[in-house]
Amino acid sequence: MLETRSLSKSFGPIQVTRNVSLKLEKGERRVILGPNGAGKTTLFNQLVGELRPDSGTIHLDGADVTALRVADRARRGLSRSYQKNTLFDGLTIAENLGLAAAVALGKGQGLWSDPLQSAEVRETVRDVAAQVDLAPHLDARVDAVSYGIRRQLEVGIALATRPKVILMDEPTSGVGPEMSKGFHRLLKALPRDLTILIIEHDMDLAFDVADTITVLNYGEVVFDGLPEAARGSSLLKDIYLGAWEDA
Amino acid sequence: MTTDLGFWVLQTLNALQLSMLLFLLSVGLTVIFGLMHFVNLAHGSLYAFGAYVAATLSGTLGYWGGFLLAPLAVAVLGAGLYFSLIQSQRRAGPMAQVLVTFGLIFVAVDATRLVWGDLPIGIAIPSFLDGQIALLGVEYPIYRLFIIALGLAILALLTLVLTRTQVGAMIRAGVDNDRMAACLGINVERMFFLVFVVGCALAGLAGAVAAPVLSVTPDMGLQILIPTLIVIVIGGLGSLRGAVAGSLIFGFVQTFGAVLLPTLSSVLIYALLAAVLVTRPEGLLPAKG
Amino acid sequence: MFTHTPLRLATLALLAAAALTYAAVAGFFGLEILAEIAILAILVIALDLVAGFGGMVSLCHGALLGVGAYAFTVAANDAGLTALPAMILAIALSTALAFVIGAVCARSTGIYFIMATLAFGQMAYSFVFQSPLYGGDDGLSGAPRPDLSALGIDLTDSRAFALYALLLVALAYAVAAATLRSGLGRSLVGLHHNEKRLRALGLTVWRAKATAFAISGALAGLAGCLAAQHTQYVSPGLLSWTVSGEALVVVILGGLGTLVGPILGAVLFVILKHEISALTPYWHAIVGLILIAVVMSRANGVFGFLETRLAARKPQPQVKEAKADA
Repeated sequence: MLETRSLSKSFGPIQVTRNVSLKLEKGERRVILGPNGAGKTTLFNQLVGELRPDSGTIHLDGADVTALRVADRARRGLSRSYQKNTLFDGLTIAENLGLAAAVALGKGQGLWSDPLQSAEVRETVRDVAAQVDLAPHLDARVDAVSYGIRRQLEVGIALATRPKVILMDEPTSGVGPEMSKGFHRLLKALPRDLTILIIEHDMDLAFDVADTITVLNYGEVVFDGLPEAARGSSLLKDIYLGAWEDA
Repeated sequence: MTTDLGFWVLQTLNALQLSMLLFLLSVGLTVIFGLMHFVNLAHGSLYAFGAYVAATLSGTLGYWGGFLLAPLAVAVLGAGLYFSLIQSQRRAGPMAQVLVTFGLIFVAVDATRLVWGDLPIGIAIPSFLDGQIALLGVEYPIYRLFIIALGLAILALLTLVLTRTQVGAMIRAGVDNDRMAACLGINVERMFFLVFVVGCALAGLAGAVAAPVLSVTPDMGLQILIPTLIVIVIGGLGSLRGAVAGSLIFGFVQTFGAVLLPTLSSVLIYALLAAVLVTRPEGLLPAKG
Repeated sequence: MFTHTPLRLATLALLAAAALTYAAVAGFFGLEILAEIAILAILVIALDLVAGFGGMVSLCHGALLGVGAYAFTVAANDAGLTALPAMILAIALSTALAFVIGAVCARSTGIYFIMATLAFGQMAYSFVFQSPLYGGDDGLSGAPRPDLSALGIDLTDSRAFALYALLLVALAYAVAAATLRSGLGRSLVGLHHNEKRLRALGLTVWRAKATAFAISGALAGLAGCLAAQHTQYVSPGLLSWTVSGEALVVVILGGLGTLVGPILGAVLFVILKHEISALTPYWHAIVGLILIAVVMSRANGVFGFLETRLAARKPQPQVKEAKADA
């Protein structure tokens, strides 16, 4: 569904992505682990097209999308959420989700009708609100709700495009352990055919949702396999106990 | 005529003179923007005020009295504006500050009309800067050379202050990253005030030196505003090098455009501005990487 | 997001009733002022559409208006078109010009966007000013008013013309409101809040911005046609950046991003201008002081002030509704 082949990227002398090759099958849920500065978010930025790789290719649903721009990749079913909330602050939660759904449905440039009133968009808003537990807050303005709810909306906006592949950049960053667990319950309830790639810091929670695990260190894939294997891996332990703990 | 060396020397000097005048105006504006993230649209009005003060005082104190006191008077006015209007709008954001200074333009134009009347005021050039001097085969007004020299001297002084002194280092840190500068224990508020007032004084100085060559009219501040904004936007907001580059580009394009391509001259500088913004949306030499 | 709150609808109804009543009773001078208000109202509706809702603060709307006015005059005088086709042609031209400007400036934001639009506006101004074809500094006269004698309406009559101008304001408002409630309008507000996210969601940002700017340009062109028909004379001054600056002041005094507020602002501005300039030649200073006072009061213009005051009195759900604009 989503594949990278020998992806590399440098910022000046610093190589942030080294020869990364990943392959996600349809419906696969993969967690990316790695210490701060391992190049996880930089990898995401290249996957969605916000950053150009120096070399290597990216394939989405069988097609090479390396040369496509952000918006074009989004229209092919690739969606992401950000580590730092990237919302439409002055609008209500329903409007945030509705806008995302409308744009994804190609109604973002339409002149003759209000997409927010269309049946398709309203249905999507309702569904996504249920998926990320936002139904009670739909009419609240984004700047009037708690950080945890904004975090859920961050993922909700990405889901509202009805993507084939969703990339979540630390969806539970900054929320407490209780909310974090609740969020992982929501995550597990998402449709099984949705391909999910998640950057996560909390190992236990990561093992809880992952089908497969990828570990990045210094921009390089150092582990790629099943959670059980990762759990026993001394390599992961070294990284986890070494550079990671103090992050 | 374009094969004549004298022509090129003359126009180059004219271009330099315009550039230096614009530099005096734009440097304050751009550094204020770099630090405080708002464009002081009333900067041109401060320049006009400087010109009026210089013109008025030169009657009683002579040219040099006006030349020295005009920047001071404008600095005092700037300090007053800072405490009464600018500082209180800091929390409301840059847009509010821009709009307040926009409103100030209207007030300033009418205030000068009220005090000094609608008619242009003349100001005499001091006797030892009066007259012409032979230079590379052309006769050139000494006073205009004085403007060029003054601009270069201020440029040298500012470069020295910004690169070699502690205050300069603080300002550069503030332009780079104001939150970081605050963390490093720099008194950001005091630095803002200092830069704002110095910027105002430079605008006043520009007004004082421009007064003898341009006519002093109520709308002179409005006339100079757009060229000054073009300079700092072409150069890249917040950077001293950008202000220098922008001033030179504007001065040369404007001067040579007017003599070589008179039909296109007024479109030329705007076309250049558009071209710069389309290809380099942050200007040629932006302050932040 | 743009909504028609009860306050907005009530204000619109009140404005319409006042304008129609005034049009019925006013003398020649009053009708001239009414037409002047109508022209400014259309221009500020156009400007608020992009600046208030899309965050694209433009200093080229005066130029877009001027291009419309000149194109209309030239099409009617030199190409021999009757008023209606000339209007269509003129509006098409300012729409196309606005689309290009919007597309080219789409990457710029903040002060850079303002300066880029200024550059394009000033280019149009210089072009008109310098071209002998368009009368240079002297301008052009002889723009016709539409011939509606088939409908039994004589637009050379100032009362009929004022009513016609009001009709065009209503049309412009309807176009702007419809745009804001369309997919494009929703995207426009979204772009104002978070351009990066909207791009990541799949929006072709430059096209959305250019299209919105084009619609705004069409309205500015309409205002230009009306201005040319009103005075039957056009001068380069129409294209000057100060016209755009003044329109911006009116939008801010009225209430940025409320669509209704700027219309109210246009009414107050023109009336103030005539009242104060009758008393003192320094009316600009008064306008400047009012602008400073409004900005320092932190209210979003006159209408924004009304909205917040009214919202503060009502229970919670209303607060949300009243604030749900851009």
